[in-house]
Amino acid sequence: MKGYQIQELSKVIQIDRKKCKGCDSCKEFCPTNAIDGKYGTVHSINNDKCVFCGQCLVNCPFAAPTDVIDPVDQVIQKLKNKQITVVAAIAPAVRVAIGEEFGMEPGRLVTEKLYGAMKEAGFKIFDVNFAADHTIMEEGSELLAKIRHYLLGEKVEHHLGVLPQFTSCCPAWVRYVELNYPQIIPNLSSAKSPMMMAGSLAKTYGATDVWHVNPEDMYVVGVMPCTAKKFESSRAEFDSAAEYWKKQGKTASYPDVDTTLTTRDLARLFKKLNINLNTVYDFKDSDNPLAQYSGAGTIFANTGGVMEAALRTAYFIITGSELQTLELTPVRGLKGIKEASVTMKDIKTGKELIVKVAVVYGIKENAVPLIEQVIAGTSPYHFIEVMNCPGGCVNGGGQPIHAMGTSWLDKWKVMLPWN
Amino acid sequence: MASYDYVEKAVKVSRREFLQVVGVAGAVMWSGAYIATDLIQDRSKYIKMRAQGIYKDDAKAKVRQSHNNQALNEMYSKFAQKPLSPLSEELFHTRYTDRTKLG
Amino acid sequence: MSYQGEREPRVLKHRLSSRLFHWGLVLGFIPAAITGFIIWLKPGSEEFVNMAMKVHIIGAAILTVAVISYSSVSINRIVAFIRQISEWGYNDFKWMMVGGGYAHKMILKKEISVPPMGKLNSGQKSMGILMFHGGIFLLFSGWILYSFIPLAPKELIYWLDFGHLWIGVFLGLCTLAHIFLGIYNWEDFKAMFGDGTIPLSVAQHHNPLWVERDIESVQKDHKSDSEVIPV
Repeated sequence: MKGYQIQELSKVIQIDRKKCKGCDSCKEFCPTNAIDGKYGTVHSINNDKCVFCGQCLVNCPFAAPTDVIDPVDQVIQKLKNKQITVVAAIAPAVRVAIGEEFGMEPGRLVTEKLYGAMKEAGFKIFDVNFAADHTIMEEGSELLAKIRHYLLGEKVEHHLGVLPQFTSCCPAWVRYVELNYPQIIPNLSSAKSPMMMAGSLAKTYGATDVWHVNPEDMYVVGVMPCTAKKFESSRAEFDSAAEYWKKQGKTASYPDVDTTLTTRDLARLFKKLNINLNTVYDFKDSDNPLAQYSGAGTIFANTGGVMEAALRTAYFIITGSELQTLELTPVRGLKGIKEASVTMKDIKTGKELIVKVAVVYGIKENAVPLIEQVIAGTSPYHFIEVMNCPGGCVNGGGQPIHAMGTSWLDKWKVMLPWN
Repeated sequence: MASYDYVEKAVKVSRREFLQVVGVAGAVMWSGAYIATDLIQDRSKYIKMRAQGIYKDDAKAKVRQSHNNQALNEMYSKFAQKPLSPLSEELFHTRYTDRTKLG
Repeated sequence: MSYQGEREPRVLKHRLSSRLFHWGLVLGFIPAAITGFIIWLKPGSEEFVNMAMKVHIIGAAILTVAVISYSSVSINRIVAFIRQISEWGYNDFKWMMVGGGYAHKMILKKEISVPPMGKLNSGQKSMGILMFHGGIFLLFSGWILYSFIPLAPKELIYWLDFGHLWIGVFLGLCTLAHIFLGIYNWEDFKAMFGDGTIPLSVAQHHNPLWVERDIESVQKDHKSDSEVIPV
């Protein structure tokens, strides 16, 4: 198998040969042409190209692609083990979708019920919305350093990447770049994704200041709307917490995020433990600093959300005052490519900055043209948000499957499935 | 040509019958088209509903910008100092791999 | 033209447009049915099943063109057909009870009397109802499954595919029976694939009510010729 580092997961989605009808529907949604098999024949996934986004899984009318990484029983074992502190890192998109697995309508905000269910199951809570705020501070500062250097000509002491900056929170997108466009790796933000920041923060600051446990006795479980996060948590370089502690004399080795559950997996876990989201007690966890988040953090779940959150903070840092209208409507909504430009008066130099941004979802149709522009040197943008899944993480490959929906957005051409 | 002695009597369709059939066929097809376009427009409704739920979470939040998250600022002051500090770089930033070079 | 006494009188049972439509069914539905089974069971290599799929689409296209052409050119034959398959009475019930006498003749080698039938016997009327409605569903669901899968909601596709498969299987089996019985009734087979005529005596045996009510001699004066549609 090509394109994998040692110990990384190489198979996350596999197609059930008994269910596949060869209708080619999955191929329409696959961003990397990673599905083999001619029209009418049983299809299979090419793991050399697959980025594990799960869009094939969510959109197959016959439920043929299956998520083969099932950590539910393993997590339950850890929960039952009193020596281990199991921390759940909960993504923004989970709280508006997990209700669907318990009969509620899509979009019902069930944060407190979710927290209550996690508490009953025995999880400690780390809300990845906090980590999203954290990502904004790290990635935003990186972007601003580049803007100060490239647009305002200031000297900066950090080693800087180049503009335009691409977001790096979507692991399917990151793997796509690494496999297909390694020349734009310098454009990817060096910031980790919110989930991975949560992992390393949980096993350092979380261990010492919040839960007061040994980091090697912690088990961090990502709870994500995303199947690609299962791959991301297995990435070889993500053991920064263990490396940090080794410098302080400890010896244990462990990953920052031990395993990842999708929203569907979590619902199954609750059901196995006889926890019903409809009847569970609400829990606010207000004493937990790692469960505090801003509105900017929660909108990461939507396409345009990362951009909007970043701009709210970038505007404040540059101009010194808050944005009047916090809802940045040009980056909201279900268009494949959205653009905006924000004019800011730099408080330090008095110069006027115009920051041009783009928001895309759908790598094949919408991100590739922008990548080609960047490679050709003609990109008009400074910051580009890329999410693989149509509509953003709310429609991720790990979310509850909605029978009467598809991810086919704003495209009306019907392609011939003739090979 | 064929030679035959008998043939079926002509089938007569009265104008009224014809209009009835066309009317029913038209009604069936129009209802079908209406349902189909409805279904197709609704196919992304679940995504919009989830997105609306998220924007509601933002609208009702007490704090709406990342830089105003007190718990986050406390983490920086107690632990990581500031964004892009050496510790932040170590724990919260990463490097990527050119996978075309991986066998 | 009729010859007095020299040869047996014949009646035109299937006119040209109907025979051409039947050819459309043969060239369209049968390849689609056979390849349909292959696509369902997926035996053999990827190339084989993919080729079967391509043939299936071509067969479906031929069938669709045949249906559209026939509907545009001979709407009166379709009306006639629908009238025939909708006319049911006690005779049909009795006919169905003895299976039209076919089992008796083929297995017991005994000819029994059956109630009088029109142009289509009860079995053919049943087949007509199944093929008409089932066929429309197969065309409708088939084209949606071919063209609209990423666009249309998943659950709809799942049930359309389910219906397409099982109605297809059922109609495929009915067609096998139809082919067998068609060959068994050799005169009618010759008519459908030949000049459309059968001897009057055969019609009187198999379709007495049709002979009694619905046919007329071709020797008529020109005035009423315009009502007769010979071809």
